[in-house]
Amino acid sequence: MMPMNAIFKITEVFKSFLLEIGELSFFAARFFRESFKRPVEFKEFLRQCYNMGNRSLLLVAVTGFIIGLVFTLQSRPTLQEFGAVSWMPSMVSISIIREIGPIITALICAGRIGSGIGAELGSMRVTEQIDAMEVSGTNPFKYLVVTRIMATTFMLPILVFFGDAIALFGSYLVENVKGNVSFLLYFNQVFNALEFGDLMPATIKTFFFGFAIGLVGCFKGYYCKKGTAGVGVAANSAVVFTSMLLFIIDFIAVFVTDIFYDL
Amino acid sequence: MEKTTSQKIRLGLFVIIGLLIFILATYLIGDKQKMFGNTVHLATSFNNVNGLQLGNNVRYSGVNVGTVRNIEMIGDTNIRVDMIIDEDIFKHIKKNAVATIGSDGLVGSMVINILPGSGTAALVEPGYEISSLNRIRTDDLLNTFSKTNKNAERLTENLLKITNEINEGEGTVGLLINDMAMAKDLKTTMSYLKTSSQKTSESISNLNRLIASLNNKDNVIGILKDTAVANRMKAIVSNLDKTTVEINKTVGNVNKTILNIKDGKGALNYLSNDPGLVRKIDSTMTNLNEASIRLNEDLEALKHNFLFRGYFRKLEREKLREQRK
Amino acid sequence: MSTTIPNNKPIIEIKDLRKSYGDNHVLNGFHMELNEGENLVIMGKSGSGKSVMIKCLIGLERPDSGTIEVMGETIAELSRTALDELRTEIGFLFQGSALYDSMTVRENLEFPLRRHTKKFGVLKDTTPLVMEALESVGLAHAVNLMPAELSGGMKRRIALARTLILQPKIILYDEPTTGLDPITAKEILILMKSIQDKYNTSAIIITHDVDCARVISNRMILLVDGINYAEGTFEELSKYADPKVQAFFK
Repeated sequence: MMPMNAIFKITEVFKSFLLEIGELSFFAARFFRESFKRPVEFKEFLRQCYNMGNRSLLLVAVTGFIIGLVFTLQSRPTLQEFGAVSWMPSMVSISIIREIGPIITALICAGRIGSGIGAELGSMRVTEQIDAMEVSGTNPFKYLVVTRIMATTFMLPILVFFGDAIALFGSYLVENVKGNVSFLLYFNQVFNALEFGDLMPATIKTFFFGFAIGLVGCFKGYYCKKGTAGVGVAANSAVVFTSMLLFIIDFIAVFVTDIFYDL
Repeated sequence: MEKTTSQKIRLGLFVIIGLLIFILATYLIGDKQKMFGNTVHLATSFNNVNGLQLGNNVRYSGVNVGTVRNIEMIGDTNIRVDMIIDEDIFKHIKKNAVATIGSDGLVGSMVINILPGSGTAALVEPGYEISSLNRIRTDDLLNTFSKTNKNAERLTENLLKITNEINEGEGTVGLLINDMAMAKDLKTTMSYLKTSSQKTSESISNLNRLIASLNNKDNVIGILKDTAVANRMKAIVSNLDKTTVEINKTVGNVNKTILNIKDGKGALNYLSNDPGLVRKIDSTMTNLNEASIRLNEDLEALKHNFLFRGYFRKLEREKLREQRK
Repeated sequence: MSTTIPNNKPIIEIKDLRKSYGDNHVLNGFHMELNEGENLVIMGKSGSGKSVMIKCLIGLERPDSGTIEVMGETIAELSRTALDELRTEIGFLFQGSALYDSMTVRENLEFPLRRHTKKFGVLKDTTPLVMEALESVGLAHAVNLMPAELSGGMKRRIALARTLILQPKIILYDEPTTGLDPITAKEILILMKSIQDKYNTSAIIITHDVDCARVISNRMILLVDGINYAEGTFEELSKYADPKVQAFFK
């Protein structure tokens, strides 16, 4: 009896997962349909950009700086063992630009922005603010969802630029203190190691990261269950689901990049 | 209203600085690949480009002066490589400059090195095709190496046949038996050659395996870290060394025998009656000499191969130390 | 618009409204009429489908079957723009006030004016309208506060001001007194009455509060199990012997 029960449970979980993916796809399709419709809620878009971009900058900067610092400190001894410390800037720059910068920034933003959107829209749904908007003649999907997804999509790449730059700066500080590498030498080596094949796919990928953060946050919040508990669930599941999705996108991005750039 | 205006300004600042970072990065990367600025085309062609890629650096006397723009097959063994070169440097390149393909340090992305031409040759003009040197590849090296090994094997076979004839005492060779010294010489030569050829083939298979594993590893750091590989490399190289010494010794022996024969000591009179044997021995000698020369060459080439460079330097250092003692 | 409707014709007419969520049949053939200038109270237990009915009325939910006519227009047949236009004539006071947390009181009140531009045109300065609506709820001083700084009663009044700003002909009240203390609740009821006098609106009030019903209603409908169980004035219904009806008046 027990195994039957377990199998039943697994199929249920799987079913609900598929259901979620399906609903999310419809939600995304609706986003694309509505985002081309007039009127454009430009003011709200700017407000969201400010909220998501400027207000996340400090967090992204601090994390980026620490990541750059720690990453360099941690990998230094290993390279030193082979007398390859001079490769440090190249190694750090490639890893940060290609992977660490985008994914860390995206995860931080999934935590900050994704959960924020989930909770905000969730509580708006619960307290009928979304219905109130509808009644007030404003399409809440356009006003709330489209603007937010757009904002995350366009702000995340910029946050990643900042994050990358600051992480590289943190790495430079370590190199400067430990290895007496000058600013010019460090960044000369950094840009020597980098190619467009490193920068461009990583940048394109961040748009998708931003889109995923906005989409899932809005999706979870917009279809929030009634009650205050629903808001918590919306915020929480937005973060969890987004983080998972980020890694999946990252995985796909690597494959696509591999095809086009021949890593 | 005040609040939103300052928000807008800050948002604008945020976006502009972010984009500036991106544009700066794009510019700097592009600048490194000589995408902007004044550049001039220069061409060369190779038989083999060794995995050279678009965007690889071009160096003139060790200075980065440009990048590879285009790689094009023209004919079955001819690959034309188009490069863009910094205009300022371009003015110094002479028509007899030579392009070679090399690898950029340990982590092996390929570069084109332009060796400056000498003397009073005319300066290149845009689009000029300079001549090139093909670099010895590890694979090629192994190919000639295994050919040498095959030659050594054939050689041993020939000598074996001769000894058999001697042992069976056929024809004039029967008389040779009396000349015990020569027979003994020949025998030892045979056994030396046999073992040395065996060892050579062993070494080569080891080397092959090693190179295969080298090709499989993604980066050199991984290989260097792998001390087992390093040890094996050492063992193989020392084996090779030993083999050469042995082959040299063998050749010396055979030479001595031949000298004996030529000097007319012992068996000469009888041998002169058997011109077939003489011819055989002669050709064997040439083969043998050739083989040992090639082996030396190969070892020399190996020394220049960057992977083994360190080991040979160490050998030399040890030798010096011993000399000091 | 109202001039085209004869006086005896009801301003809202609902026929045979049905709505179910899965196996949960919320509405099973509900019908009602709202006459002009009338205050209709609809009473029912929680989950009896009152809120669903009122949301169908304003087009937030789609009924499974049945027709809803508001001022001669059938809701289900309206295009989005036509529906939006109709909505300017219907005010909706949400249960929890539903003020936008991220906006000031002024922005909250301006919000309906953003898109409902048919009625007043595109306004350069919304201040007169905002202040008028705030004054009619007696909270003109709160214009620059955030919703979080307001008490529950104030929120409810601001929400009322927000529904009033478009000067609707019909106001739908979804539990206007729920979650308020009795004194504040009474203030809200008085306010509702004064607004009706001032703007001459018709209203549907959904509640389970007997006091509210007594003060405000001209007519009542008791909603039980998704149908109109009983109908009449407050006095008539309070004398009903039926135990299900009496349960409301205890």
